[in-house]
Amino acid sequence: MNWKATAQEHNGGLQRLVRFIGADNLSLLFALAVLIVLVTVVSGWFGLSGGEKFFSWQNLMNSLAQAIVIVGLLAVGETVVIVAGALDISVGSIASVGSVVSASVLVGVGTVGGLRILPTDNVLTAVMAGIIAGMVAGLINGLIITQLRVNPTIATLGTLAAFAGAAFLLAPDGKPIGVVTQTNFTWLAQGRFLSDLAIPPLAGSKWTGIPVLTVVFLVVTVLVHVVMSYTDFGRAIYAIGGNPTAARLAGINLARVRILMYVLSGGIAGLAGVLLAARTTSGNPVNGTGLELQAITAVFLGGAATSGGKGTIFGTFLAVILVGVLNNGMNLLGFNTFIQRVALGMLLVAAVAVSQWRQARAERARTQVAARG
Amino acid sequence: MTIPTSATPPSAPRATLEIRHVSKAFPNVQALTDISLDVRAGEILAFMGENGAGKSTLLKIINGDYRMDSGTLLLDGRPISFSSPNDAHKAGIRVIYQEPEIIPGVDVAENIWVGELPKRFGLIDRRRLNEQVRRSLVEYGFDDILPMHLLGHELSSAQRQIVEIMRALKSGVRVLALDEPTSSLTDDEVERLFALVRRLRDMGVAIIYVSHRIKEILKLCDRVAILRDGHLIAVRPAAELTEAEIVRLMVGRELSDVFQRRPAASGREVLRVSGLNSHWHRDVSFHVNAGEVVGFAGLIGAGRTELAKVVFGELPKTSGRILLEGREVTIRRPDDAIAKGIGFAPEDRKREGLILIRSVLENSSLAILPRLSRFHFVRRHMERAIASEYVHKLRVRTPSLEQEAGKLSGGNQQKVVLARWLAAKPKVLILDEPTRGIDVGAKAEIYRLIDDLAGQGLGIMFISSELPEILGLSDRIYVMQNGRITGELSRAEASEEAVLALAMADQLSGSPAGTNQGSQECTRA
Repeated sequence: MNWKATAQEHNGGLQRLVRFIGADNLSLLFALAVLIVLVTVVSGWFGLSGGEKFFSWQNLMNSLAQAIVIVGLLAVGETVVIVAGALDISVGSIASVGSVVSASVLVGVGTVGGLRILPTDNVLTAVMAGIIAGMVAGLINGLIITQLRVNPTIATLGTLAAFAGAAFLLAPDGKPIGVVTQTNFTWLAQGRFLSDLAIPPLAGSKWTGIPVLTVVFLVVTVLVHVVMSYTDFGRAIYAIGGNPTAARLAGINLARVRILMYVLSGGIAGLAGVLLAARTTSGNPVNGTGLELQAITAVFLGGAATSGGKGTIFGTFLAVILVGVLNNGMNLLGFNTFIQRVALGMLLVAAVAVSQWRQARAERARTQVAARG
Repeated sequence: MTIPTSATPPSAPRATLEIRHVSKAFPNVQALTDISLDVRAGEILAFMGENGAGKSTLLKIINGDYRMDSGTLLLDGRPISFSSPNDAHKAGIRVIYQEPEIIPGVDVAENIWVGELPKRFGLIDRRRLNEQVRRSLVEYGFDDILPMHLLGHELSSAQRQIVEIMRALKSGVRVLALDEPTSSLTDDEVERLFALVRRLRDMGVAIIYVSHRIKEILKLCDRVAILRDGHLIAVRPAAELTEAEIVRLMVGRELSDVFQRRPAASGREVLRVSGLNSHWHRDVSFHVNAGEVVGFAGLIGAGRTELAKVVFGELPKTSGRILLEGREVTIRRPDDAIAKGIGFAPEDRKREGLILIRSVLENSSLAILPRLSRFHFVRRHMERAIASEYVHKLRVRTPSLEQEAGKLSGGNQQKVVLARWLAAKPKVLILDEPTRGIDVGAKAEIYRLIDDLAGQGLGIMFISSELPEILGLSDRIYVMQNGRITGELSRAEASEEAVLALAMADQLSGSPAGTNQGSQECTRA
């Protein structure tokens, strides 16, 4: 009664929009806008050509939209794990495994460790094989963490190395498996949807359609968002991240939820690996190396709390675009890759620092209220 | 509340530590009110009182853990003020808790001399260290129960306390306080500890001894100070006191202002536990009927919270049976217990009850997610309807269902936990200290709620350390001590004295040898 009335009073149109986006995400949108202005307008002042190039269909659809997909997928899976108060450092290696497995199922690689793998030439089978390989890897992570009670960071640090090695063992002689002739498979990366739509050219470059990759990323993002926001599993993830003891005492089976969550994160990483194979036209054991850093950066940048219990898929999605624009802009402006790496590392530290500061502020607010009450 | 003059006869030895008009308040409670007390060299002074009477707070002020709001402490006539236990140690005041801080991988000698190890050429002088420690252990008669080669983590509770006492002796202690030192000791260890304590007294150390065990106090101590609700009620020579007198002084509260339960007919049995053994319990059997509030009384550490957790599947049992409505059930985890109709509102709502950073809505629906979900999708309109129903029913004061649970006051947080369990519609509800740390108004509401729930046929297992509320609300009371049920009292039989007598029934009196000894040695020879 009383609280209902006050809640409705605050439901103005603008406030409703802010609530829909989320206050934390608002600052991300702002940062994104600032970054785009920086890349386009400011680069023009200094006589750099980044701005012109940025707003072209060629850049937006081919470079940016494709570049964010792989890291984006990994980040979406990683968000689930981080919201639950854990960490999965092994996602890059799982992507490598997924990449090698899907390619080898597709073209056949003869005998690997007593197992004869024949070519299936079936794209769907290859994709499923990559995803399942990722889920198995995730299951291994989940079992190590819940049954052997190994700290998640340490456990996945171990499997980061182990899965990376496994990817080499799965590829014959540790060499990349070429899939360049499999045009049905490489369509996953080269294909375009809606390419004959009558959309005017931008900065002189013609509309090329939406990459299949990008569509896959968007679909997965929406699915995981739905899982996190509307299902009992999602509720359990937030509860476990917020307070595992209280969650257990409220009847949540911690081990089951944690295993499922690593299987989910692993499956998505496996899919990312499949897409990597399609994009690089080879199932390469080094395909996923180092991607976990960018994924984890995006999750924290997206507002997830390091201690768990807070974070949204939408926030991660915005952060993935932000990181994508940052890399893209630095490319356009001619920064070399080493500077980009330094920038990315600093961004991770900054994102976590901001997240910690937010948590401390929230903590103070809580204790003040509690003391009054 | 005048202190009997007999407590300070003119011939009394000079006070080593004088406590003058000390008061201390916490956000919700006045912990100590105007305490004045002398702690004298060469005597053992007991602090007694119920849980929450203020004994620990007073010790923590003496030890420099807490700052007093007003009042002074004088050591040998000079005012002192500590900002940390370290300061207190330097001044010669040391409180020894049940679990002193011990460095795990380091041996006994180094643990005792930690921080000021004898050095030679910049290295630890092992030979001198070992020689000194061995000599002092022999001197105090502990050389055989505290072998010097043991490492910190290998020490028992008794051995840890001895290490802490040795630390105190080494740094020339003037005032030594022991907080419940015997609770984890064997009878033999207790005797040796007493011998040591008497010896320290005779050396001129002023000793404060805190215990719930009345027999021990009467056997060991010279004077007894009794606290109740933060006030000093009496200070008397132990020789003038009897067990019954001490209990009367500790309780001494009016029962009339406590909520009384409406009489209700109890139904058939919903929960029965028989022959339960666990790491914490020995042969515990009890039952709860539908519509009945069953109180579990006992001192802190009696094993009541652990009993609730064993029944709920959070802690393991080694043997024993749990029956729900007459059928034996296997409970491995809390979700098993919930599925079978048990609810549990834990004692520490911030650490175990609530997800503080999530909303009131999510917190109140957490235990019924399986019922709310269809194909794993939470039916949000249903969730909202149920949550708001109980939030209203319990009158949780929150701006909205979206409010973070951590931003509510203590009483409202407790109501959110209760809303969760009411929504789950259990057959048995376990409430562990449901009124701890909440204000009087919210307490009354929770009492009324418990009464209502029992009226609706719920069986309630009600754990509380506040005797008046246990007595006021329970239809039956089990009293626990040291992991056993020491007695069952009907509503008619229950009184504060009866409960306390069962709660403090000394282990010594349980063994045939101890019974006579205890009463004979009431006064110090």
